[in-house]
Amino acid sequence: MLQMKHLSKVYRTHMVETHALRDFSIHVHDGEFVAVTGPSGSGKTTFLNIAGLLEEFSGGEYWLDGVDVRGMGDDARSRLRNEKIGFIFQSFNLIPDLNLFDNVDVPLRYRGFAAAERRKRIEEALARVGLASRMKHYPSELSGGQQQRAAIARALAGSPRLLLADEPTGNLDSLMARGVMELLEDINRQGTTIIMVTHDPELAARAQRNVHIIDGQVTDFDAEPRLRVPTRDDRAALAAV
Amino acid sequence: MEIRPILSALMRSKVAMILIGLQVALTLAIVCNALFIIGERLERMQRPSGMNEADTFWFGSNGFGQGYDPFTVLRADLALLRQLPGVAAASTTNSVPMIGGGWGTGITLQPKQKTATADTAIYFVDDKGLDAFGTHLVAGRNFKPEEIADLTMGNRLAPVSIIVTQALADKLFPDGDALGKQVHLDEDTPASTIVGIVDRLQQPWMDSRTVEYSTLVPAHMPYGNSTRYLVRTEPGRRDEVMKTVEQKLAESNRSRIIGRIRTVEQTRREAYANDRAMMIILGVVIVALLAITALGIVGMASFWVTQRTKQIGTRRALGATRGAILRYFLTENFLITSGGLVFGTLLAYGFSLWLLTHYQARLLPWYYVPVGCLCLWALGQLAVLGPATRAARVPPAVVTRSV
Repeated sequence: MLQMKHLSKVYRTHMVETHALRDFSIHVHDGEFVAVTGPSGSGKTTFLNIAGLLEEFSGGEYWLDGVDVRGMGDDARSRLRNEKIGFIFQSFNLIPDLNLFDNVDVPLRYRGFAAAERRKRIEEALARVGLASRMKHYPSELSGGQQQRAAIARALAGSPRLLLADEPTGNLDSLMARGVMELLEDINRQGTTIIMVTHDPELAARAQRNVHIIDGQVTDFDAEPRLRVPTRDDRAALAAV
Repeated sequence: MEIRPILSALMRSKVAMILIGLQVALTLAIVCNALFIIGERLERMQRPSGMNEADTFWFGSNGFGQGYDPFTVLRADLALLRQLPGVAAASTTNSVPMIGGGWGTGITLQPKQKTATADTAIYFVDDKGLDAFGTHLVAGRNFKPEEIADLTMGNRLAPVSIIVTQALADKLFPDGDALGKQVHLDEDTPASTIVGIVDRLQQPWMDSRTVEYSTLVPAHMPYGNSTRYLVRTEPGRRDEVMKTVEQKLAESNRSRIIGRIRTVEQTRREAYANDRAMMIILGVVIVALLAITALGIVGMASFWVTQRTKQIGTRRALGATRGAILRYFLTENFLITSGGLVFGTLLAYGFSLWLLTHYQARLLPWYYVPVGCLCLWALGQLAVLGPATRAARVPPAVVTRSV
């Protein structure tokens, strides 16, 4: 799904060069749930930006779903991002002047879907995150957890192959965080690859694999997927057995 | 196109939208009416007087000596003027187009007619008058020397022959057969025969609604001891002749004063000075309004781009290309401007109607508003282009950074 080989990212000013990522290699398979951890300034966000085609990289290779993104133009990156990737941000980044329906509609319009197709996808996505009855509500009328679920609906509506989550529970209380996390796990179970940047070791532990970044390099990477921490549903299923 | 979501978002930022829309509306209303007024003034200023303006000048002679006979003096003056080198024609006249003062009367077709058929200016000239004005006969003949009468202020206005302008002839006799017809220049006076028709000679009053209706009467008509002379020179010799005339006339008779000699071009400039000033003021108002509106749009768009940097980054992250962001801001401006223009169209016609009712102005022609709308749409798009381009350059990575 995502493969980076010896990737580097250097920020240059006329005074200094900052190596945000160095010899960074990672391979994320289809359907995986990977947690990316590391201290502040370690390069997590830079990795996420490059993975999400939000930034270009300085050297190395990056293959996204079989597409070599090296030297790709801005418009082509935008289209690929729109088609393949869904984003979930720590601060939700819903557009405050648009209601939930229109917020979820934003990436679908850029995709060029017909109106009927967009409506169907929006309604399905909002229903999937439990916000079908809040379509006409504005973000300011929702709780933090609901806003993040709306953001997840926006990310899911375009049926992306990869979901990039940047501290998705960072602005939520523990109850809401648990709900969002369970939703992400559910999405992953249905086949969507998820890469989640987090500071929270408990959340990271629930991912199939952990990538630890320090000073722009991968320092700890579980080469093989491991068992996920059982979710509430899993526990219920086990209890039933 | 994202028209519905943009409109929906705009409805949540009503104040800024209404202010800019109102500014656009006022600009449209004022600019359209101001441009129309400028156009009218320009049209007015460009009306030909019917004279050879480039080569003609006029002046007054005011006698003061004992036993001063204006008729004797004017004959001597005309003889002197006509033999001066460079003078093409000279005549006495009571007035000149555009000077703002002169004689007027109501022409009737019947002697006892209560209401005049047309109001006309009267120019008292001799047989060289047409030549001095530089106007052209289109029908009939010029005055004969024996037709020139010596008139004073107390005389009745009843010349045997008159020459009228084409516009007046058409007004009096719409069938086009004015030549040889008789009219009355005053109530209960003998009829005068139209012996000639000139193409054009405006009245002295620029604001007159009948400015093209003039009548030439064959007479020397001094005003007391004052006589006005009109001189046309050979092409290009006006300024040279003006200097000679002043000197020669002053020398020829010491019992009178020669008034300031003025060219007809100066007369035109003075006559239309207010129109010119009005045009300049309105022009400045138009430029200022357009500049303020453009700056308002630039300011608002710049503020919105800054305010929405994160939002733009989010859109970019969700797949918007730079072109899509550019289009978003251009469309947003188009919608605001369009709203303003709808209101502005009503204001423009309302304002024009108010001017019509209170100042007898002409109604704004319909095409001014659509043309104004196109210009303001273009202005809006140009004004927003800078901020929109800046928005399009916002990198998608801002979405994951703290702004």
